[in-house]
Amino acid sequence: MRFSDLIRVSIRQLVRHRRRYWGVMLAIALGTAGFITIITMGRDLKQNFNRDLELLGRATLVKVYFERLPAYFHQNFTSATVQALRKMQGVRDASLAVCTYMAQSSNNGVAHNFSLFGVDNAFWDVCGFTTQDGRLTSLADNDLRQRVVVLGPELAQTLFGRKDVVGKKLEIQQDIYTVVGVLKNVGLGDLSHFAFMPFTTAQDRILRISPANRIYLRTLTWDDVDKVAPLIPQVIQSVQYAPGLKVEVAWDQVKRVKAVAFWVQLFIYSSIVATLILGGVGIWTVMMAAVRTRTREIGLKKAMGAEDQAIMAQFLAEAVCLSFTASLAGSFVGLLTVEVTSHLISSHPPQGLFLFCVILGLVVAVGLGVAAGLYPSLQASRMEVVSAIRYE
Amino acid sequence: MNELYPHPRINGPIIQVTRLSKHYSNGHGVIPVLRGVNLEIHPGEMVAVMGPSGSGKSTLLFILGLLLPASSGNYQFLGQDVLNLSRTDQADFRRRRVGFVFQNCDLFENSTVYENLEFPLVYAQVERHERPARIVAALERVNLAHRLRHPANRLSGGERQRVAVARALVNQPQVILADEPTGQLDRQNGHMIMENFKQIMAQGDTSLVIVTHDTQVAECCHRTFSLEDGVLYES
Ligand SMILES: Nc1ncnc2c1ncn2[C@@H]1O[C@H](COP(=O)(O)OP(=O)(O)OP(=O)(O)O)[C@@H](O)[C@H]1O
Ligand SMILES: [Mg+2]
Repeated sequence: MRFSDLIRVSIRQLVRHRRRYWGVMLAIALGTAGFITIITMGRDLKQNFNRDLELLGRATLVKVYFERLPAYFHQNFTSATVQALRKMQGVRDASLAVCTYMAQSSNNGVAHNFSLFGVDNAFWDVCGFTTQDGRLTSLADNDLRQRVVVLGPELAQTLFGRKDVVGKKLEIQQDIYTVVGVLKNVGLGDLSHFAFMPFTTAQDRILRISPANRIYLRTLTWDDVDKVAPLIPQVIQSVQYAPGLKVEVAWDQVKRVKAVAFWVQLFIYSSIVATLILGGVGIWTVMMAAVRTRTREIGLKKAMGAEDQAIMAQFLAEAVCLSFTASLAGSFVGLLTVEVTSHLISSHPPQGLFLFCVILGLVVAVGLGVAAGLYPSLQASRMEVVSAIRYE
Repeated sequence: MNELYPHPRINGPIIQVTRLSKHYSNGHGVIPVLRGVNLEIHPGEMVAVMGPSGSGKSTLLFILGLLLPASSGNYQFLGQDVLNLSRTDQADFRRRRVGFVFQNCDLFENSTVYENLEFPLVYAQVERHERPARIVAALERVNLAHRLRHPANRLSGGERQRVAVARALVNQPQVILADEPTGQLDRQNGHMIMENFKQIMAQGDTSLVIVTHDTQVAECCHRTFSLEDGVLYES
């Protein structure tokens, strides 16, 4: 039997008995689509989780500072250092900050002490802070050295007795500042009692503000933390002199997030594997049933001279065509899902990885077809002609 | 006439069967069906086999077509012993030498008439572009060329029988083994089938063994046998 005939006859069979094969094809197609989507989008999805899930909190946040010893009190980071850190692989962004724990304000004649940060505009994204009211400081605020502050919610409460204080004026060290925003009280911790103003404004106006001696850095995903953290001192020291450098990582949280991610991934992968196994079992049952209902057809074909191998090849080809077509359809669904998701989270999944997944999916599908179709095909090929013909 | 496998011109018999016996065994014991059948068929000969129901006519045809192994005896086809062929060679034998028409005229149900006739050609690895002409020619012999693309399961009983005959002819075999091919046909169509067989046999290299209950059909043949109690008598 020629190969072209084999394929033509198999596809004809599948098309004519398509009702019988629907369920199996669906299972395999879904399995393939899921596989392609998860693998291709995996990294982008992780990044997106990282951005959106406050639950991650500090897991991907790395803090870099100088040891608090008198010898290092005047150490500071340069902006070239921050640039170098930003360029590291696996780093989303880095932010430079100054701070004082002794800012003073008098409000309605009552004096308050609080801590104050001078931050660049990257700070908010790096730390994952958003406002419940008003806005964050911007690049323009920094460039123009604006006298604006963003307050932690608890600090707003202490200073004003309430939290909706956007637009209020606040005096800090004899300067009048406008409150432009109040932070959302999520994952803030102690920082809920802090005030934040543009980096440049703080350096210009706040007495006894620290040197720029702390950097906050956010990695792309939790998997990047242990790759990035050990390299940080090296990168910094290649740019500037930095004795007494400290890198602080919330290893506990990283571990916990990784554990959660592991279980989620395990769950997803096992459901894909389960779908594929289901598909395999489906092919098996469907082919077994086909061999049974087509016993007379097998007998007839043998009577007109079909060899055992031809019968076997026929059923095997049907099983493979079935799984291959299903997998091909799944690849299209996968492509669609990848396109849609990457559009939704505005990312660019690696093209090579996608192609690799499609090819792997098709190869696995063919393997599945062969594996699940083998035994039924063998059964078909071994039938005796007359008993097959007289079969009812 | 046969471009597929040029048949060697021979003088001796095409089929020579001696002391052929066959018994089936089921759970309770053995059922003897054929006991010492002798048969000799020459090229171009038409042979009718008659006999009561259950006498083993179909069994004999199956053995002649190598669809069923014999229990004992001797079967020579063109001087070659064919009872001990390997499975592959048996398939090859069925493909090249035999055209079979089954008693219940089995067709491939989910296929068209064309596809039904195509399968023997597919297994014989006939080039695809050569197939339509052969198929149409075979269908014309049974007056069914106009049903070329008809689904097999929408044919009438008689039409099915004629398609089954055409399918046995399409590969231009050396022996046609037909199990009551005219059973469901009216006199006219039965006559047409027999005339066709006659024409083919007249060319001299093909032989026909036909099982029938119809004496008129048997009269068309050169010789008539009857099978009784597992033994074949020439009448
Ligand atoms: N696989 C089998 N096992 C046991 N007995 C069988 C088997 N196949 C056929 N037989 C028996 O062998 C006998 C001959 O069967 P066969 O089909 O050859 O008869 P037949 O002459 O063609 O009859 P009919 O004219 O009704 O078609 C029957 O009695 C049948 O019951
Ligand atoms: Mg019979």
